Amino acid sequence: MKIKFLFLLVLISSIAFSQDKTTAPAFKKRVLESTEVDFLASYYNQDGSRSAVSGGIGSEKLTDIASNIVVAMPLNDDDVLTIDLGISAYSSASSSNINPFNSTGASSSGGPSGTPWQASSGASKSDQLVSIVANYSHSSDSRNFIWNTDVSFSNEYDYTSVGFGGGIATLFNEKNTELSLKANVYLDKWRPIYPTELDEYSKYGANFLNQGYFNGVSVLDQNGQATTNYLPSAFQTVSGVNRNSYSASVGFSQVLTKKLQFSIFFDILQQQGLLSSPYHRIYFADKANYYIGQAQYINNYESSTNSGVYKLADDIERLPDSRFKVPVGARLNYYINERFILRTYYRFYSDNWDIQSHTATIELPIKLSDRFTVFPMYRYYTQTASKYYAPYETHLSTERYYTSDADLATFDANQYGFGINYTDIFTGTKIWKFGLKNIDFRFNHYERSDNLNANIGTIAFKFVMQ
Amino acid sequence: MIKTITVLFFVMLILQSCSSVKEYEKEKINDPDMKLTARTAERYETSFQVYREAAAGANGGKSGGGCGCN
Repeated sequence: MKIKFLFLLVLISSIAFSQDKTTAPAFKKRVLESTEVDFLASYYNQDGSRSAVSGGIGSEKLTDIASNIVVAMPLNDDDVLTIDLGISAYSSASSSNINPFNSTGASSSGGPSGTPWQASSGASKSDQLVSIVANYSHSSDSRNFIWNTDVSFSNEYDYTSVGFGGGIATLFNEKNTELSLKANVYLDKWRPIYPTELDEYSKYGANFLNQGYFNGVSVLDQNGQATTNYLPSAFQTVSGVNRNSYSASVGFSQVLTKKLQFSIFFDILQQQGLLSSPYHRIYFADKANYYIGQAQYINNYESSTNSGVYKLADDIERLPDSRFKVPVGARLNYYINERFILRTYYRFYSDNWDIQSHTATIELPIKLSDRFTVFPMYRYYTQTASKYYAPYETHLSTERYYTSDADLATFDANQYGFGINYTDIFTGTKIWKFGLKNIDFRFNHYERSDNLNANIGTIAFKFVMQ
Repeated sequence: MIKTITVLFFVMLILQSCSSVKEYEKEKINDPDMKLTARTAERYETSFQVYREAAAGANGGKSGGGCGCN
């Protein structure tokens, strides 16, 4: 399969390059006339009731603020260097419940308590992600062949990613056809953090209820009685912390008429290593239940009225150390008239965890004037569940792989919103040496069939050095 | 899968061989809203979709790296 695929890539490349008979023009237009700077910022919030950290139930409230600055610099007529710096900060009820107990153990009066329905004060309630990507691209004299290479780095509290890759693109048939190939590798590393009760078990072993965090803390059984029977013996810390991702992509685009063009993309992705999240709890249906907190809330544990008891995990999610993904996508854009443009997108996805998905997007830019464009948009998404997924407390301890992460469940989602674009080709507004060329604002609302809701707003400014 | 790709490949060859729009006729094709890529400001939406949905790739977004576990 892989050999055939590579053979096909080589064949396509050979044909593509054989089409490029354009000679270098006497005058070369610079690929990028001057330095461009993009400032982007976004605000995202979500809420839901199927937190993976709490084994498939509980608050998924999350707020994320992100911003990027992207600087594209022409190094000469042919070469462009692009640096993309990003930072994002989130606060999350779900991840706060890695340690759900809102006091530091038995030392506090009344003992610790928690609930999957509210954020705790745990250190994992917030984090920051920083990232940097550098991309270098070179265009041939004819501008019909482009190669690029990139390196990337990102880091957050428990995760670091290093990536590199490259690609080529060739244009032929009077620049009506473009063929591109791309490959990327990401070498990621976890610094695993585990749910508090499992972390304590891994530190102190079978006697952990008498040591560390649990020393003096009452563990309750299903009837609300104090017990010492809680022993998550299925739990072991993860054996490997690396996650490597390898991807290859082929793209083909074609101008069909003066008003119509399309492109298709075909990717293959292979992931290896730790593909589960070490802090996603699992509750087995065939194991007894144990809690910390206030006994009166045990009977309505699965209701958001539970404000004072948290169930102790049987294990963390376990997933295979390999995943192979095949997405195929296509875009078709049509210039209807001077006022309207139609942008469409479709993607099919399949992987060897039995997930299949379809995505369809439609956007209708409406040109209100030379400077203003508004664009309503709609996106539909549907996916089937992974064969390793089961809802809260339905997995059995005899299974090899298990997860209650709702992101791997069957669901469909609707996203709708709008955007406003302001463009000033004369860059009349200036800040220092930079003229404002473009402002792009967009807002979208996202609704999933499992009641996860999200809103995201983004604003982007493009400046051109003068 | 290979059959599908082969068919697609020949469809592409046919399409590119019967279409030739001259550079000076591409005013509409070159409109910024006609770009066959995601918009720059769309990156954060792609990012959260990659996190919240199991399917990544072929969407112009990053296909790996970054945890996205929240």
